[in-house]
Amino acid sequence: MITGLAFKNILGNGWRSLINVVILSIVLTGMIWMQGIYDGWGRLARRQMQEWEFGSGHFVQKDYDKYDSFTWDDSQAEIPSSLQQLIKDDKAVPILYSSGVLYPQGRMTPVLVKGIPAGQTVLSIPSAELKETDTTSGFVPALIGSQMAKSSRLQEGDIVTLRWKDVNGVYNAADLIIARVIATPVPTVDVSQVWIDFDRLNEARALENNATILVFKNKPESTDLGADWRYVSTDEAMAGTDAMINAKRAGGYVLFTLLLFLSMIAIFDTQILAIFKRRKEIGTLIALGLTKQQIIRLFTLEGILYMIMGTIFTGTVGLPFFYYFATKGYPIPQEMTGYNIAGMSEAIQCYYSPGMVTTTVLIVLAVTAFASWLPTARIARMKATDALLGKV
Amino acid sequence: MSEILIQTKKMTKYYPTGEGQFAALKDVTLDIREGEFAGIVGPSGSGKTTLLNIIGSLDSQSEGEVLVLGQEVSKLSAKESARFRSNQIGFIFQTYNLLPVYTVYENVELSLLLLKMNPEKRRQAVMDALEWLGIADKMKSRPNQLSGGQSQRVSIARAMVKKPKLVLADEPTANLDTENSMRILETMSRINQELGTTFIFSTHDEKVVKHLHRVITLIDGKVAKDDNRTGV
Repeated sequence: MITGLAFKNILGNGWRSLINVVILSIVLTGMIWMQGIYDGWGRLARRQMQEWEFGSGHFVQKDYDKYDSFTWDDSQAEIPSSLQQLIKDDKAVPILYSSGVLYPQGRMTPVLVKGIPAGQTVLSIPSAELKETDTTSGFVPALIGSQMAKSSRLQEGDIVTLRWKDVNGVYNAADLIIARVIATPVPTVDVSQVWIDFDRLNEARALENNATILVFKNKPESTDLGADWRYVSTDEAMAGTDAMINAKRAGGYVLFTLLLFLSMIAIFDTQILAIFKRRKEIGTLIALGLTKQQIIRLFTLEGILYMIMGTIFTGTVGLPFFYYFATKGYPIPQEMTGYNIAGMSEAIQCYYSPGMVTTTVLIVLAVTAFASWLPTARIARMKATDALLGKV
Repeated sequence: MSEILIQTKKMTKYYPTGEGQFAALKDVTLDIREGEFAGIVGPSGSGKTTLLNIIGSLDSQSEGEVLVLGQEVSKLSAKESARFRSNQIGFIFQTYNLLPVYTVYENVELSLLLLKMNPEKRRQAVMDALEWLGIADKMKSRPNQLSGGQSQRVSIARAMVKKPKLVLADEPTANLDTENSMRILETMSRINQELGTTFIFSTHDEKVVKHLHRVITLIDGKVAKDDNRTGV
């Protein structure tokens, strides 16, 4: 009965009800959309990093520390024999890291040199370009990312000198020819990096069949490759990016907490006004046999119904909006591609997981219920005889 | 002789004021029997509405006893008090107090919704009440589309639809012209005679007083006169 009464009151309130429903719907749409953007960004970043850097799981040499460049020259180990067939079948790819110095136009630029087998397809690095077709020139084909090209002012066909140190501590140098500038969405395979052939780098460093990381196309069956190798799951590899996305998400929450707060003020004010305007009605309902608790429930339910109607409104009117951003995506401004964050190079397609949508709706519902209930404390203090006379 | 429906014994009601307390009712002792058509008359501030509110379990006395339909109303819990009003008492107000967003039908139906009556019986009861009061053609109208007389008829229908033993009417004709006042009084008188419903009015309208079978005059919160015109 209370639900029926609440529903009739909301319909009877006409425009005021519609405004509340629309405001709640806008807040809900905004919150779901914002979460969708962050979740979509996270999924895109994960996919791109899997395609370009981590595969479906990878091993790193036990001494390798990506935050300590001094470890890079010593972080390599022989590829386990058990992996040879996988590498041959192009289901795993070894990559050797080495620090080096590049001299574009005579300037000195420290770089991370990465050796990857030419022609592999586990990662999206177009390594086929690393095959030495002209062995007479003496130039070593190299790939660089577009940001590296920009910062070092190199372009395809340029010759540039690279200096490195082999495992015996001997410095050596070679001229590289930029075979291709690759447009990668993953800055961690681009910024300050040069890609050359895996065997070539092994040879240059006086190594044979050594690698720093081993990337798997599919999730490896075992996470134990011996004492030299440490398994890094996709989640662990993504931890930094996830943390950054979550930090951005937290910033977004501040904005929507404010919006939610404003919409709750609208609900709160509507309730206060309703209690003031409907005090005779409250008195009449008490005279007819409702308890104050039932009337408090009625008013609170009216607020909750606004939210439920707002959710339905969002689910119908907002559907084309959500669909558009889930399919066409949110275009990233050109300026943001320089932020060195994965997932920032193409339109981010919103991803709305059922869990995220349900949680968001429940949070807004709980806050709405609270904002609707809070002003009804006045009803509990109200005397029926005063209410009947229109007094508060 | 019919049963005593309402019994008050040395009932006093105080309201707090800035300097102390004000006695709205003083030592009111009354018996009202089933089927009476009685009125509480007196000037403004004499305690008429306070007395009706206490009988209707909307307020409670400060001292003394009040028995309504055998129940000591001041001892009822909030829930029991609400159930008591819902089941036993019909209210009619000076300003009709119809719920503005509901239709006439829904306003009348509201009393029965609280009684959790089944939909079929409820519909029949509402239609009977509306027809009885001659407003069935207005069942889909909203209160703002009704005249004062029609609104008060809806208010009576809402009070009567649950067939209560007692109806408390607070200045029911105060907002009506003479013609409508007479019609409303005739309607209530007919209900009293045909259904045996006990009516208690608070009024200072002379037109109403003429129709009453018993006139209890309150002055400054005290029963100054109790004129039973039926000789019972």
